[in-house]
Amino acid sequence: MSSLDQPDSNGTYWRSLGELSGSPRFREFLEAEFPRELDPSGMSRRRWLQLMGASIALAGVAGCRWPREEILPLAVRPEGRVPGEAEYYATAMELGGAALGLLVTSRDGRPVKIEGNPVHPASRGATHVFAQAAILELYDPDRSRGLRQITGSDAPSREWAEFSAFVDKHLQPLRDKQGEGLAVLAESSSSPTLAAIKARFAQRLPKARWVEYEPLSDDYVRAGAIQALGAPYRTHFQLVDADVVLCVDCDLLCSHPNAVQYARDFAERRDPVSGNMNRLYAVESGYSVTGTAADHRVSLASSRIGGWLARLEAALAPRIAKEQPANGEVEDPVLSALASDLVAAAGRSVIAVGPGQPPAVHAAAHRMNQALGNVGKTVVYYAVPDPERPGHVAGLRDLVRDVNEKLVTTLVVLGGNPVYNAPADLKFAAAFAKVPQRIHLSLYFDETSRAATWHVPRAQFLESWDDVRAYDGTYTVLQPLIAPRYGGKTPSEFIATILGEDPADGQTLVQRTFRESFGEADFATKWQQTVHDGLVAGSQWPVQTPALVASQGTTMPDSPGLAEGKLEIVFREDPSAYDGRFANSGWLQETPRPLTHITWDNAAILHPATARKFQIEPDTLVRLKHRGRELEMPVYLLPGHARDTVTVTLGYGRKAAGKVAGDAALEVASVGADTYSLRHSESLYFDVGVEVSPTGKAYTLATTEEHHAIDSLGKAAREERGRELLREGTLAEYREDPEFARHRVHHPPLKSLWNEWSYEEGHRWGMAIDLSKCIGCNACVVACQAENNVPVVGRQLVLQGREMHWLRVDRYFWGDAEADSPPVSHQVVTCQQCENAPCEQVCPVAATVHSHEGLNDMVYNRCIGTRYCANNCPYKVRRFNYFYFHWDLEKPENEVKKMVYNPEVTIRSRGVMEKCTYCVQRIQAGKIVAKNERRPMVDGEVRSACQQACPTRAIEFGDLNDPDSRVAKSQAAERAYAMLAELNAKPRTNYLARIRNPHPSLDKTEHEHARHTG
Amino acid sequence: MSTLAIPVDDNTSNDPTRRAQLISGDASLVTVTDTVSHIVEQPQPPLGWYVAFGISVCVTGVFFLLIGYLILTGVGVWGNNSPVFWAWDIVNFVFWVGIGHAGTLISAILLLFRQRWRTSINRFAEAMTIFAVICAGVFPGVHVGRVWFAYWLAPYPNHMTLWPNFRSPLLWDVFAVSTYFTVSLVFWYLGMIPDLATLRDRARTPLRRTLYGVFAMGWRGSARQWHRVERGSLILAALATGLVLSVHSVVSFDFAVSQVPGWHTTIFPPYFVAGAIFSGFAMVVTLMVPARAFFGLKDLVTIRHLDNMNKIILATSCMVGYAYSVELFIAWYSGVHYERFAFLNRAIGPYAPYYWTMVICNVFVPHLFWFKKWRTTPALMIIVAVLVNVGMWMERFVIIAISLTRGHLPSSWRFYSPTWVDIGMFIGSFGLFMTLFLLFCRFLPMVAMAEVKTVLAHSEPHAGHA
Repeated sequence: MSSLDQPDSNGTYWRSLGELSGSPRFREFLEAEFPRELDPSGMSRRRWLQLMGASIALAGVAGCRWPREEILPLAVRPEGRVPGEAEYYATAMELGGAALGLLVTSRDGRPVKIEGNPVHPASRGATHVFAQAAILELYDPDRSRGLRQITGSDAPSREWAEFSAFVDKHLQPLRDKQGEGLAVLAESSSSPTLAAIKARFAQRLPKARWVEYEPLSDDYVRAGAIQALGAPYRTHFQLVDADVVLCVDCDLLCSHPNAVQYARDFAERRDPVSGNMNRLYAVESGYSVTGTAADHRVSLASSRIGGWLARLEAALAPRIAKEQPANGEVEDPVLSALASDLVAAAGRSVIAVGPGQPPAVHAAAHRMNQALGNVGKTVVYYAVPDPERPGHVAGLRDLVRDVNEKLVTTLVVLGGNPVYNAPADLKFAAAFAKVPQRIHLSLYFDETSRAATWHVPRAQFLESWDDVRAYDGTYTVLQPLIAPRYGGKTPSEFIATILGEDPADGQTLVQRTFRESFGEADFATKWQQTVHDGLVAGSQWPVQTPALVASQGTTMPDSPGLAEGKLEIVFREDPSAYDGRFANSGWLQETPRPLTHITWDNAAILHPATARKFQIEPDTLVRLKHRGRELEMPVYLLPGHARDTVTVTLGYGRKAAGKVAGDAALEVASVGADTYSLRHSESLYFDVGVEVSPTGKAYTLATTEEHHAIDSLGKAAREERGRELLREGTLAEYREDPEFARHRVHHPPLKSLWNEWSYEEGHRWGMAIDLSKCIGCNACVVACQAENNVPVVGRQLVLQGREMHWLRVDRYFWGDAEADSPPVSHQVVTCQQCENAPCEQVCPVAATVHSHEGLNDMVYNRCIGTRYCANNCPYKVRRFNYFYFHWDLEKPENEVKKMVYNPEVTIRSRGVMEKCTYCVQRIQAGKIVAKNERRPMVDGEVRSACQQACPTRAIEFGDLNDPDSRVAKSQAAERAYAMLAELNAKPRTNYLARIRNPHPSLDKTEHEHARHTG
Repeated sequence: MSTLAIPVDDNTSNDPTRRAQLISGDASLVTVTDTVSHIVEQPQPPLGWYVAFGISVCVTGVFFLLIGYLILTGVGVWGNNSPVFWAWDIVNFVFWVGIGHAGTLISAILLLFRQRWRTSINRFAEAMTIFAVICAGVFPGVHVGRVWFAYWLAPYPNHMTLWPNFRSPLLWDVFAVSTYFTVSLVFWYLGMIPDLATLRDRARTPLRRTLYGVFAMGWRGSARQWHRVERGSLILAALATGLVLSVHSVVSFDFAVSQVPGWHTTIFPPYFVAGAIFSGFAMVVTLMVPARAFFGLKDLVTIRHLDNMNKIILATSCMVGYAYSVELFIAWYSGVHYERFAFLNRAIGPYAPYYWTMVICNVFVPHLFWFKKWRTTPALMIIVAVLVNVGMWMERFVIIAISLTRGHLPSSWRFYSPTWVDIGMFIGSFGLFMTLFLLFCRFLPMVAMAEVKTVLAHSEPHAGHA
């Protein structure tokens, strides 16, 4: 609430002379000037008026002559706070039931940038794409702006008082009946406060139901753990200690709730110099980020993976017992290598299974981890709270049954969007409509809200007091960075309100839980420390050592032969929309999905051979028919995808997401196809029996890289120059010749036409990108967009090739595109800040110049937009503002979106060129701080946005003139090389060649160090 | 060898014993003046002129509307993207600048080489040059992202104490093209003064007398004034000769100085200049063939003139063809696979049809001019000339846009396709060109009367002798 509404206690602010004349100070003043003894009747009227006029004029406080207005709502500056300077607050984001600790940059009281919390184990300073994009969600103009009561097609706004009245009126009878007829449908959450409230809820209203449902459900993971270990223990991996990692249909490094930590741990063991580089095997149906990082990848339909794992288990047994493998069975070489690797690294290996595989496969993995002795070392178990909770689908199914039997009169939906994302066969939407009172707490006025009777705005995590547990159980506290813009509430606050608790504000609730968990002693200090750090150190769950329940192999489900003409359909979390909740984020929609580089759409992904089998052409729509339901969507042919499988991602085709992703009421077309309409509750993640047929309708997907089906000349060139641009070799090659990367391209000595500048004095900024560590997760892309106010251009312009990302992730497929699993590599490309920049020489107005520290400075206000610089850039990292991209800000309803911009970075106008600046605003801020403190800069003090966001720490940035800096050491590494060095552009960014670690028996690559390319 | 029996009327023959008549028919000083002035003096131009002018003005109107749309909305209305940051805009610029080179070559270089046949066509061609340069200048002016700051390209003293970047070929372009325009304009005007005086003297209406009088600058035809005009022409010819070679070289530096594979080759200056002359002459022929028929100039611009121009077209076509093959050879010989790819991509990549159109139109079709029939039949030569211009436009597209679609990094490879605004503005530029040109035909002497009179048979000092 603005202070304009409050009378200022000092009386220093007034709005009218009348007010002034009535104020006590004025009266005092009058008294002092004109003692009461003065009798007005003794003087002339004119004199009296003169005196009064003068008094009022002179009564200006503190000698000012005109009215004083407070511009800032603060009369006294709080200690340590300077307007315009950034402050950093610890909080966290919960996704998939686990917390990612965050450190949020706040300027002038509003959050503008999200980073990882360096002390939080789940992030250790890094973030994933969803956390980076959460800032835009906070300021999304399509967020719901208040309570609504929905009757028919009418949905007028309501006040909290009205809602409270409704609650009192409606819930009192329910309370009297001990909650009979009341049901709560919640998302999965590890919040101890919510758990406590749930307990109080169950206690006060024992007949009420509490159901948990999450579309990206961990039902099979839990069922598998129950099958193998007797209870739904959570499996956690210590990848730092793992020499061999096997991911079974599991995108451990990107799609796991704890992916950020696992990516970091995995990358730490990816160093060829240390001598103990790990080895990753992946078996999967779709091509995931983990698959690209793998040293060996097997491409297999999801329904066949169970059988494959059974064969692995069979291959392990004799090796563990140190017997010869069974004769007469020719083993698959990869399986054989994997088995021997796992056994050789017993106690230092990990077998991870993804949430899509059936429980029996998970159970098999638990058995194998036990057999290999990994448990307690690289594989640890935690006992999660609420082990009795039924599975998500089972719970939802029961709820729908109860609704249909009219046992539920009031349904409170906390977050989530079940009308949109419940499995199609449950017919949740129809059931939902039958419940007499339906209340939905949600960020957006979405599909479920529109079908409800009451919509309550939810506070986003940046507006909330809350607590949540990390994947390993670390107690994490969320603090708000800004007051809830629209008066939203967190689920805990909301249920507390319904229960009639008072106070029901988040802070009190969380503090109550904190007291209960950590004791009353020293509360204030402990609480202060916790809020400051964002977590309670050492509060992770204790490690459990459950015994296997049934050590015999339970039968693996037979992988049913995929019948002729039928394929397997696989449903996956979308790398941008997640389960659909982030569909309305322009940043995420425009981020090219890893591997397919699709934007603004989802596609049915097929192997090229499978497509040919069904006469499906690229750039067309296909029809998917599954269990009596049909869907048309665009097709994408992905090399390395499993044959006989089609992968679709969830979270598209929304009808009430907002102006970005689709809103039927506002006639905004939906982005993508609603694949939830095909999803069946009995086969959440994959199912066999889908029919895929061509429709013949043309449709071009907006991808940021040319579609793979290009002419043969282009393909050959791409392969040839790809090997020079993205250099990689095996560990054996590296050991033989550590400088092999430098020998890939030979060129004559380079001479420059001009006298070259010496950068030995002062700072010399440089960057090193380790291609062994980069997994292509896109966190850097969204971080850069958030930090530098990069505009979103929309699908049409991406189709035309005008996306504005300053940083892009290039992807290369190696070898035959028709092979089962061609290797894939990622390369992050930003402005290389060339010392001999081709762009600088050709700008006619000198709008792009070089700084003393080696940065290529793009001067926006001098640029007239001839675009010669972009033509001359060999790396094509420059982006041109072909249009004015900020028209949306002119509309009054989008006023809130202005808050997302980083005030340190200019917003570029139409007709101006822009590009990566090595986050010069951060460099300058760091230099100013160091200068004020009269000290040299410390390595790591200034971090570019991409560097800070990267989970694997693949990007190093810093001062090359500091010999101890990480970047100087990285650039001095033997496998470091510069891209297109032969052009003598002298880029400041170096790449560290990717080292793959194949099993020696499978290493077929020729050693290339003796082969020179021109 | 027997003496050849050459008909007197055919002036395309090359008999060393007899100088070919440059002006056919019974031409005298009076008939030359009358023929040319009559076009300007007729009170109403023929209906065909009105029709053509009407269409041109409409197309020009569309051109300016599209320019307005472009400036108000943004460069994005074109098909340009990343990496094809330059496409039809710069192709059109180079196309039009190239076309201009024929006029200057005819005016200047042929003057220095004492090629007297230039006199019938130089005024016409130089006018074409000036209008082509105007059309050319529009494109770089409007293609910049912030047109309202385009004046920053000029090195004027300013409060920012900032000079433009003299290392940039775009800035050299600014100087080259503006110099070219200025010199061409002055040269053209200087040579026109005696003819404007003729028109002034023959003018019937006071308006015409005044206007032509002003521009004739008091020409009296005295020996001293003739001497000055001839001296002036020689000096300007010397300057303009350099320009013919330098201007398009500088335009080619836009590409040659960059590092884009397919652009970065030292053959560009002579290659572009040859190509410019090639396309310029083709445009002169394309315009002259209908003009001489329509305006009755067949005796002044004879088949021999056309024949000579076609021979130049053939010669420059050979130069251009040679340049293509040298480019290919050097790309292969360099061993740089980016260069090799750039050229292979043109020939067998996704844009191959453009490349082959270019090769056929530029390298093969002009060889029809080995045959005299093709060189001397107006209906046939115009086909070749139009195809040459098509081919030359394609060449600029191939060089500029196709090279950009596939640069060093395959991740940035993108296709390019023009939008209706691109196409509209290209057609619109023709509208502007034709509007100016038709105005020229209507109000200014199309043929340099004073110069043509110097090559009449009468004027020959040894006329009448065997």
